[in-house]
Amino acid sequence: MELFLQRLADGLSQGSVYALMALGLVIIYRGTGHLNFAQGEMALFCTYVVYQCGEWGIPIGLALPIGMVVGFALGAVTEVALIRPVAKKSPFAVFIVTLGLFQFLNWLDGAIWRDQPLPNSGVGSVQQQFPSLFPSKDTDFITIFGADIKLQSVGVFVLVLALTGALFLLFNKTKLGLAMNAVASNAESAKLVGIRTNMVLMVSWGIATAIGALGGVVFAGINHNVNLTLMFTVFIYGSAAATLGGFDSPGGAVLGGLIIGVIENMAAGYADEWVGQQLKVGVAFVVIVVVLLVKPSGLFGTAKVERV
Amino acid sequence: MTMPFTLRSGGAASWALRLVAGAVLVYVMFWIPTQASNGVIDTCITALTLMAAAMALNLLLGYTGQISIGHSAFFGIGAYTTGILVSRYGWSPFQTLAVAFVVAFVVGALVSLPALRIKGVYLALVTLSLGLVFPQLIKAPKMEWLTGGARGLDKTGFKFTKKNPTYEIFGWNPWGNLRGENVKPFLYWIAMIIVIIVYLACRGVVKSRAGRSLIAIRDNETAAAVMGVNLAVTKGLAFGLSAALCSLPGCLSAIRTGNVTPDSTNLTVLGAITFLIVMVVGGAGSLWGPIIGSALYVFVTDRTGDWSDKEAIPAVLRPFFGWSHTPPGSGIFAVVLIALMFVAPFGIVGMWHRVVRRFVKVVPRPAGTGTIDTPATAPAEA
Amino acid sequence: MSLLRAQGLTAGYGPVTVLNAIDLEVNEGEIVVILGANGAGKTTTMRAVSGTIPRSGVVEFDGHDISRTSPDAIVRHGLAQVPQGRGTFPELSVEDNLRAGAITRRDGAGAVAADLQRWFEQFPRLAERRSQRAGSLSGGEQQMLAIARALMSRPKLLLCDEPSLGLAPLITKELFEVIERLNAQEGLSVLLVEQNANLAMHMASRVYLLETGRIVASGSAAELSADDTIRKAYLGF
Repeated sequence: MELFLQRLADGLSQGSVYALMALGLVIIYRGTGHLNFAQGEMALFCTYVVYQCGEWGIPIGLALPIGMVVGFALGAVTEVALIRPVAKKSPFAVFIVTLGLFQFLNWLDGAIWRDQPLPNSGVGSVQQQFPSLFPSKDTDFITIFGADIKLQSVGVFVLVLALTGALFLLFNKTKLGLAMNAVASNAESAKLVGIRTNMVLMVSWGIATAIGALGGVVFAGINHNVNLTLMFTVFIYGSAAATLGGFDSPGGAVLGGLIIGVIENMAAGYADEWVGQQLKVGVAFVVIVVVLLVKPSGLFGTAKVERV
Repeated sequence: MTMPFTLRSGGAASWALRLVAGAVLVYVMFWIPTQASNGVIDTCITALTLMAAAMALNLLLGYTGQISIGHSAFFGIGAYTTGILVSRYGWSPFQTLAVAFVVAFVVGALVSLPALRIKGVYLALVTLSLGLVFPQLIKAPKMEWLTGGARGLDKTGFKFTKKNPTYEIFGWNPWGNLRGENVKPFLYWIAMIIVIIVYLACRGVVKSRAGRSLIAIRDNETAAAVMGVNLAVTKGLAFGLSAALCSLPGCLSAIRTGNVTPDSTNLTVLGAITFLIVMVVGGAGSLWGPIIGSALYVFVTDRTGDWSDKEAIPAVLRPFFGWSHTPPGSGIFAVVLIALMFVAPFGIVGMWHRVVRRFVKVVPRPAGTGTIDTPATAPAEA
Repeated sequence: MSLLRAQGLTAGYGPVTVLNAIDLEVNEGEIVVILGANGAGKTTTMRAVSGTIPRSGVVEFDGHDISRTSPDAIVRHGLAQVPQGRGTFPELSVEDNLRAGAITRRDGAGAVAADLQRWFEQFPRLAERRSQRAGSLSGGEQQMLAIARALMSRPKLLLCDEPSLGLAPLITKELFEVIERLNAQEGLSVLLVEQNANLAMHMASRVYLLETGRIVASGSAAELSADDTIRKAYLGF
């Protein structure tokens, strides 16, 4: 029982990171019908920025907003300068551009911050470990039904729930949210009611990347360091979560992320011999294939004519 | 508009051009292993490996429009088939090529089953996760007895002893005494033969009736089905063949380095992305595109490989790259890739065709297989 | 005074020119109808005016030159379009569709809520379905929703592209009554495209006849009906 609860808590906190990644993917997908393959690397860049802020002595409470603002700007500029011009040509061109961006950002991170996990005393890092948003010492846990749950897990989970609530309000109670929903539903008509669709798409990419940045920072905090391959698996789990929840459903993305986080940890824990730590990523593969074959619109998505 | 040159396809001038190009190609092909330094030959083997993988991927993506970011898995199947059979069971490396081909074909055809329903970026997602799973599967504890786990396998190449039967072909040894100086050219020729096999296979498929079915599927799947193309079989075969061809350079990599590890670049997703990028930069959907793209990629990464050391950067370029802690090759290529999407979506080969058409009028071959004679005055530009 | 004036308006799709230098005018308080057969360029005219396709020539609206203005900015000037095929937001609720229509307004939530109430009274069918997805409505209901959504932006001029398309005659009649009432009571100017000449002539202040991208005749409804050749060739009665 205790073990189960611990695994559940670990799963939920891991799943929270996937949920953040999935949210970013879904927000972009809703607006433009594009799957942003660079989402993980864009988040990683912001995570490195937060690390750098830490090196400069900026506390995490301030560094995180800086990272998210950088993320917003990165997303918005990407949409305007790279995605919009090629989107007119073909979806394939957009796919290639996001892939190129993936490669470019991964190279850029290495070029600026070197090809090794940070913080690292070998390259003169001031910080001992990547700053965590929540207490993360070995003694920081609470006991529920005899299970020791890390405070960090609880904090991450609550953070994601709060963000989901905020996004719910954004989508359902604000003009910006209404405009985003309208563009997602019918971009042509959105123009005809006077919505600046270009602006909406730019802001969507900005928000998505800022959320991704949050996910990257949270994950690096759990992981205690940031490195060049940090987001590869997070991206694929996030994609699996978005697939499971439905690519046009933000709520589905969050739930999908949590479900996958839990499945992953349970599979690795209970089927240790077969799945173990190495094959956890197989869970994502299986989920993606099965969902796409059985119910391509996911749990909460709306079935649409495929746009690609 | 009059053009300075007119070229009749199939005419004498056209054949002459082809002959000259072919002669230059063959000359270079033989010049490298006989005259170039071992370092250059080694770089060329790297390029040839990438060429074969990119061409295999091009067969799938360039000609059927199915996106795969997981071809590193098929490359890995090749590497591990050779690795396991040579190091654990003492096979000759040459024999393992055929086994790898079959294994990769079967796995590729299996992957194509979901691909029948999953399309576009979703298929990209599926193949991407396949590419991520593959190295993990190799590393899984349950597989360690076979794959050697994270440490990988060694002694997977040729054993270069004086009288070693593994590199003889039915008792005939054309290579002479393979030691020291001779080893690189020997590996070079294996790589070259694999590239030629993959090229001929792609060319054969593309120019055949099956190839037209593939292109029809890429351009309009529904229309192709209506015209009588069997989608399931054609797609499955294309996927299987592409996977099988991609496994051959994988075998080569095991033979060449004498060991396989699950974390070497070409076996991970980064490798699959590289295959895709060089193919698109060269020109997706053209036979020479992947070749040109790969050559360029290896050239750039080789030239800039030591640029993490500031002193190695040419003085003119130092202000641009001096700050970088890693070699700029992949970054430069990513920028080229993105820029190409703005100006020339069909890559370097597409751009070349456009430039040539401004100066040379290419008249298509009259009615060999076609239906209507193209008048000689027809504008060459589409 | 003219509210909308187009001069030498030319537009098309890619290399194909559909609309050939037409002149068009809508005065304040008028209902202007454009009649024409299939392929005459009626919908293209609408799209060219609202800026959703590339165009050349001069378009002036309410004293502004909108020849180079983007469609969303044109809406903010007070020109709302009901596109052909309705173009509602199928995944959004009826109420959200209407709110989206008011998204350009700056006169506060109270005024928007009051208008919402008003159109729900005007179209009781929509009020019954206010929280349903728009995609689940019938054709007639969607058409009403599209018109109500356009009106939510408080336009000075309403562009209506074949509102009768695919609707039962009775519903069409009801719809046209609403448009006429708005015109009479609120002074809303309307530019209407129709194939159904009979119905449209009935309420038109002025009529333009469009044939293969050119205006072949124009005048008041009475003038055009009086001309025998025009009546037989274009109006069909």
